Amino acid sequence: MTKLRVLFENGSPERVIEFDLSRAPFQHDGRPASLLDVLLGHGIHLEHACGGNCACTTCHVIVQGGLGNLSEAEENELDLLDKAPGLKPTSRLGCQAVIEDDCELTIVIPRFTINAA
Amino acid sequence: MRVVDVAPDTRTLHLRLPPDTHFRFTPGQFVSCLLPVGGSDIVRAYTIASHPEDVPAIEIVWNLVPNGQGSHYLFGLGIGDTLRFTGPWGTFTLDQAPAAECVFIADGTAVAPIRPMLRRALDTGSGHAVRLHYAAPRAAGLLYDAEFRADAATHPRFTYEPLLGGDLLAHIERRYVAGDDDRTRHFYVCGVGAIVHRLRDLLRGAGYARRAVQYEKW
Repeated sequence: MTKLRVLFENGSPERVIEFDLSRAPFQHDGRPASLLDVLLGHGIHLEHACGGNCACTTCHVIVQGGLGNLSEAEENELDLLDKAPGLKPTSRLGCQAVIEDDCELTIVIPRFTINAA
Repeated sequence: MRVVDVAPDTRTLHLRLPPDTHFRFTPGQFVSCLLPVGGSDIVRAYTIASHPEDVPAIEIVWNLVPNGQGSHYLFGLGIGDTLRFTGPWGTFTLDQAPAAECVFIADGTAVAPIRPMLRRALDTGSGHAVRLHYAAPRAAGLLYDAEFRADAATHPRFTYEPLLGGDLLAHIERRYVAGDDDRTRHFYVCGVGAIVHRLRDLLRGAGYARRAVQYEKW
């Protein structure tokens, strides 16, 4: 089983979910077994304005623990993260960061996932 | 709302925003549509192909994707129907022309964000050349072709270069990699599939600055 602890910068109570990674995809948006896939599939909302196709930054999350268990970021994701508000060294796009092994992860959902208008 | 078939499998929707809607966007951005499909809402992004000055009207363009739930739903919409969306979103934008030659590269319907970006580049630039390389399998697939030709006729610094059925990657390599040593240009690339990353890698690998090569892959 994989355990994911989700913290919210906006003050919402933290959530902890446990799931069987081999059952992915859990829904239809983002890469299968990505953080976005897992969160949406377990009733935790994460913005994904582009539909989870690595074309915006609204699913930006900050990984606090377990970063090494996620797929490596590709150039497309890194280029987009460059433009994400509140970027941190462990920032990832939820739709692209795939959980590769059973593990324990902690992520923070930032307060702002806002567009660049 | 107005519906225009611009090619057999390609359609534009001209949407009118509700009164009192304060909607502003930067050329290149998209709206995130909530489409009621299969008993729930699915999220699909559609780039705004019109200009910010056209608000309260906006235009989106898309083609029919086989088995594509979103595109089939949109094809079923008609005049008077309502489309729910959030936005604008997206960071593939051009608000002010760069102080350098500006090269747009578009592929098929992915010219949608390029259209308002190009107009903004022409309206805000300071004399640098602006080019559009627009690839499509055949002439009927060149959206906004007449408009781009008219722009080229009225803006001496703008060159419109459609490419029908050719090898876009090889064409760009000949022009901007093998063609000269100038690496000051800025590129804005939008296309469908792997060609976008190949163009990105070609240009960055040739010495153009990373942030001077902006792209969006559909």
